[in-house]
Amino acid sequence: MNQPAQTGKSASYGSKRFRSRSFKEALEFYVFISPWFIVFILLGLIPLLYGLYLSFTNYAGFNMDRLVYVGFDNYRKVFTDNDAMYSLGRTIFFTVIMVPASIVLGFLLAVLLNQNIKGIGIYRTLFFIPSIIPVVAVGTMWRSLFVEDGVINNLLLQLGLQPVDWLGYDYAIYPLFIMLLWGVGGGILIYLAGLKGVSKDLYEAAAIDGATTVQRFAKITIPLVTPVLFFQFIMSIIGSLQIFVQPILLAANSNSLLSTPIRPIYVYSVHAFQQIFAYGRFGYGLALLWVLFIMILALTVVVFSTSKLWVFYEVDQGGK
Amino acid sequence: MVNAGVQNKLFRVVIYMLLVLLSILFVIPLYWLVTNSLQIVGSASTFWPTSLRLVNYKYAVTFIDYWGYAKNSIIITAISVAIPTITSALVGYGFARLRAPGKNVLFLLMLSTMMLPGIVTQIPTYVIFFKLGFINTFWPWLFWALGGSAFSIFLYRQFFAAFPKDLEEAARIDGCSTFRIFWNIFLPISLPVIATVSILAFNGSWGNDYITPFMFLQNDKYPLATALFSIGYVFPGQKEITMTQVQSAGLILFVLPIIIVFFLGQRYLVEGVVSSAIKG
Repeated sequence: MNQPAQTGKSASYGSKRFRSRSFKEALEFYVFISPWFIVFILLGLIPLLYGLYLSFTNYAGFNMDRLVYVGFDNYRKVFTDNDAMYSLGRTIFFTVIMVPASIVLGFLLAVLLNQNIKGIGIYRTLFFIPSIIPVVAVGTMWRSLFVEDGVINNLLLQLGLQPVDWLGYDYAIYPLFIMLLWGVGGGILIYLAGLKGVSKDLYEAAAIDGATTVQRFAKITIPLVTPVLFFQFIMSIIGSLQIFVQPILLAANSNSLLSTPIRPIYVYSVHAFQQIFAYGRFGYGLALLWVLFIMILALTVVVFSTSKLWVFYEVDQGGK
Repeated sequence: MVNAGVQNKLFRVVIYMLLVLLSILFVIPLYWLVTNSLQIVGSASTFWPTSLRLVNYKYAVTFIDYWGYAKNSIIITAISVAIPTITSALVGYGFARLRAPGKNVLFLLMLSTMMLPGIVTQIPTYVIFFKLGFINTFWPWLFWALGGSAFSIFLYRQFFAAFPKDLEEAARIDGCSTFRIFWNIFLPISLPVIATVSILAFNGSWGNDYITPFMFLQNDKYPLATALFSIGYVFPGQKEITMTQVQSAGLILFVLPIIIVFFLGQRYLVEGVVSSAIKG
C-alpha cells in the first residue's frame, strides 16, 4: 500500500485513537490527495522558492557554481528600470479597460441568450467558439486581417475610406482590444449558469408589485448573480495582468516568442520574458515576475476583502 | 398605453437582430481565415473568395514538418489529458467525501495555486530539470500530469460533494474499500465532469501549451502550437515574407481538432460547468 503523504501529522493524530474509523478515513484522505500534494511540493513549491532565491542572486543562466547574493538589488532595479515601469503602466492600462469591458459584454451576451428564444443553442455556440480557439491561432489570424493589405483595409478601401496602419504605433492598441474582446464569449457558460439559478418566483412577485423590466434587472438579476460576476472579476484580473503572447503575435515582425511588440503594446510579461530569454538576466527576470505575482496576490486579497460589501450570497456559506 | 402584444413583438425582433448581428461579428474573422486559406499565395485578401486553392492545405503540411509536429502534439496532449483526468478525480474525491484534519487548509492551498503565474515556477523548474537531464524530453509533461490540475480537481470536488452520504454508506457496510467505492460507484456516474475536464485539458494542451515546449524542448520536438509561430511559413530564402495563405491553411488544420472535440462534448461541457457553478 501507499504511504500517506503526511505521516508525521497522521501519527500524532492516531496515537490518541488507536486505528479508529476516523483515523483510517484521514489516512485514506491523504493517500487520495497524495498525487496532487507530492507534485505540488516537488514541482510547485520547490521551484517557487528556488525561483525566489534566484531572484536575489546575479544568476545569468551559466554562472550557477559562482552565484552571488545581491540582496534586493534586482527588486530595486525593477522600480528604476524605465522599460519595466513603462510596460507595467501599459499592462495596468489594458487591465483597467479589459476587465470591466469583458465582464459587461460577456454578461450582456449571456442576458441576451437567457431570453426565451428559439435556436439559443446555435447562438451560444457561435458566441462561445472564438474563446476556444487557441491563442496562437487567434493572434496569427488577427494579424493577417489587420496587416497593410489585409482584408480589413481592403474593406475600408472599398467603402471609399483611407486604409489604416493598424499594426503601427498609433493604432496598435485597437487590434489588441478587438482581438481580446473577440474571445469575450468564454464567460457566457458561467454567466448563463448564474442567470438560470435565479428563481422565477422572484421575477413574478416583482412583476405583480409593478416593478419594470429595468428595475427587475437591477434589483433582482444583478444582485443574485454577483457571486458569478465576482468569480469572473477575479479570474479576469489575474488573466489580464499576465497578458503576454497576444501583443507578440499581433505586432511582431518575425516568427518568434522573443520578438518584441511595438511600444504601445509592450506589456510587462513580455519585458520579463525578454530579460530572461533574450538577455539571460535570470535573476532580474525572476524578480520582475515575483513583483507581478505579489501584485496579483495583493489585488486578489483586496478584491476578496471587498466582496462582503457587494457580493450577495443567497444561502449561508457555512451550511450544507 | 402601448399594446403589450405589439411591444412584446418589437422586443423580440430587436433581440433577434442583435443575436444575428453579434453572430456575424463573432464568426466573420473565422470566415476570413477560411477565405484567405483558399487564395493564391501572395494575393491580397478579399472579402469574398476569388479562388478555391485547396493546394494551400497540401503546402501547409509539406512546407514544414507538419506531421512531425502533430505527432509531438499528440504525445504531449495524450499525456496531459489521460493522466490528470484520472488523478484529478482521485484528489477531487478525497476533498469531497473524506474527512481529515487539515483538509480545508489544503483545499484552499490547492485553489490558490490557480493564481500563480505559471512562468514564475517554470523558469526555476527549467533550471532543476536541466540539472536532472529532462530537457528536450517529454518527461516533464508526465510529472506535471501526475499531479492533476487545480481547476479539474475543483470541478470533480464540486460534483462529488453534491451526492448524499447514503451513496457510499451501503457499500461501506458491505465491506467495500474506499478505493472501490470511488472506482465502482462514483466514477461511473461522473461522465459529465470527466468529459468537461477532458475537453478543458485537451484545449489547454493541444492549443495553449506553447511556452513550456518553447522552453523545455528543441525545434524537432515542438508541438504544433509552438511550431506554428516559431517556425512559420516563409518564402524560401526570404525570412521576412510570410505566406499568409498557407499559414491560414495550417492554422485551420491545427484548430480543427479543437472544434471537433468541442462539438462532440458540448453537451457535457455546458452541463459540467453549469452544475459546478451553481453549487458554488
